[in-house]
Amino acid sequence: MVVAQSLGIRDLRFHLDQFGGGSVSHAMVGQVALALHAGVADTIVCYRALNARSGFRMGGTGRPLVDAVETQFQAPYGYFTPPQQFAMEARAHMARYGTKSEHFGQIAVAQREFARDNERAMMRGPMTLDDYLAARFVVEPFRLFDCCLETDGAVALVLTRTERARDLRQVPVLIRGAAWGGGQNLYSNQVSDTTRTAAADMAPRLYSMAGVGPSDFDLAELYDCFTYSVLVQLEDYGFCAKGEGGPFVASGATARGGSIPVNTHGGFLSEGYVHGLNHVAEAVSQLRRTAGARQVPDAELALSTAQPGYVAGSTAALVLRRGA
Amino acid sequence: MIDELPEPTPDLDSQPFWDGLALGELRLQRCRACGALRWPARAICNRCASFDAEWVDCDGAGVVSSWIRTHQVFAPAYRDRVPYVVVRVELVAQGDIRLIGGWHANRDPVVGESVAPRFVRRASGAFVLDWEPDLAPNTARRLRS
Repeated sequence: MVVAQSLGIRDLRFHLDQFGGGSVSHAMVGQVALALHAGVADTIVCYRALNARSGFRMGGTGRPLVDAVETQFQAPYGYFTPPQQFAMEARAHMARYGTKSEHFGQIAVAQREFARDNERAMMRGPMTLDDYLAARFVVEPFRLFDCCLETDGAVALVLTRTERARDLRQVPVLIRGAAWGGGQNLYSNQVSDTTRTAAADMAPRLYSMAGVGPSDFDLAELYDCFTYSVLVQLEDYGFCAKGEGGPFVASGATARGGSIPVNTHGGFLSEGYVHGLNHVAEAVSQLRRTAGARQVPDAELALSTAQPGYVAGSTAALVLRRGA
Repeated sequence: MIDELPEPTPDLDSQPFWDGLALGELRLQRCRACGALRWPARAICNRCASFDAEWVDCDGAGVVSSWIRTHQVFAPAYRDRVPYVVVRVELVAQGDIRLIGGWHANRDPVVGESVAPRFVRRASGAFVLDWEPDLAPNTARRLRS
């Protein structure tokens, strides 16, 4: 509403405030697409802006982001920040499938390599696996470069209907699939396997809507609040088998030149943290083929995902295709 | 900012759970209609939609499903406490019930090991639920109504 007021829009035909962090950004884009298809509005701006460095720091105050029902059962034990929550999930995966710190490190290093060609990235210096392993622990098993940045940043997407987009100067990027799902978290007594996220249940529905499968994607922008969330999504979105995320990233498949380049802007780990809308923006740049030195050749189809369902229990994702 | 160690903050649903810790009991809610355990407590069973529930005393036998060691000082109260270990425990009684708690042993936890509850009284007088290795993990486990 503040944006509408600032722009002097008098008769706003659609508005939607999505509460929460990275599990809702892609759902917001999907809901905007619904509104456009329903004819509620012609053009909608979808944005996220946050001062997550100079303002409220999610992991820096000891104060939970959300006063959820489970907070009272965590805070007394000194457990209240996202690095702790995701380190807990990462350890469970390591114990069950033999995933190693080096696998997480491969993710951080591959994304940094992309960020070196991204002028918007906060972290552009070179980083090796040794650099990753030598960094201090934040919350074991996570070291410093397992954790995303804290960023003052903003991203805005302009969405309109396909026929209108085809009249515009830019190559249109089409939303071929949008899904959101989940609902259960560790405090609803419905999760039997913590190494499998809500994204695993949602992905088949998303792919069915878009008429695609994991092998069709040219790139994937996967929610990377921590390295582990990338690894588990590679499994849950079907790029590799459950438990094989570690060897998959070690093979170089997700790095530049690999079969499925992941987080081609550097992601939250190296570009900045804007709740996943920066992942959508990067997918759009890639599909328009305006990503410069980090461009994935002949990019036609991209997956972009929200937080896969830990903590809040919800998730969402988009399938984007380069328009004709 | 959290300057003091965070204390339990019971609400209407969770009060029996916190009260139980002071008595050395791990209390869980159980659906009277389908028998499913639920924790944290809530008004309705998310398996059978019944509102009819009772409190039962669980023996607290558990298994470490994961653990972490926090090095970063996220709040001033932890400046002199880092690094510290927190475990996540799945209850033997129902594996989809998972509790976060502190760790009492002079070694690291091991994922998959059997643990027993340890009821800890803090200087504030509040009781919290921590965990320690279970030295007799094969003893009979039961729920007391």
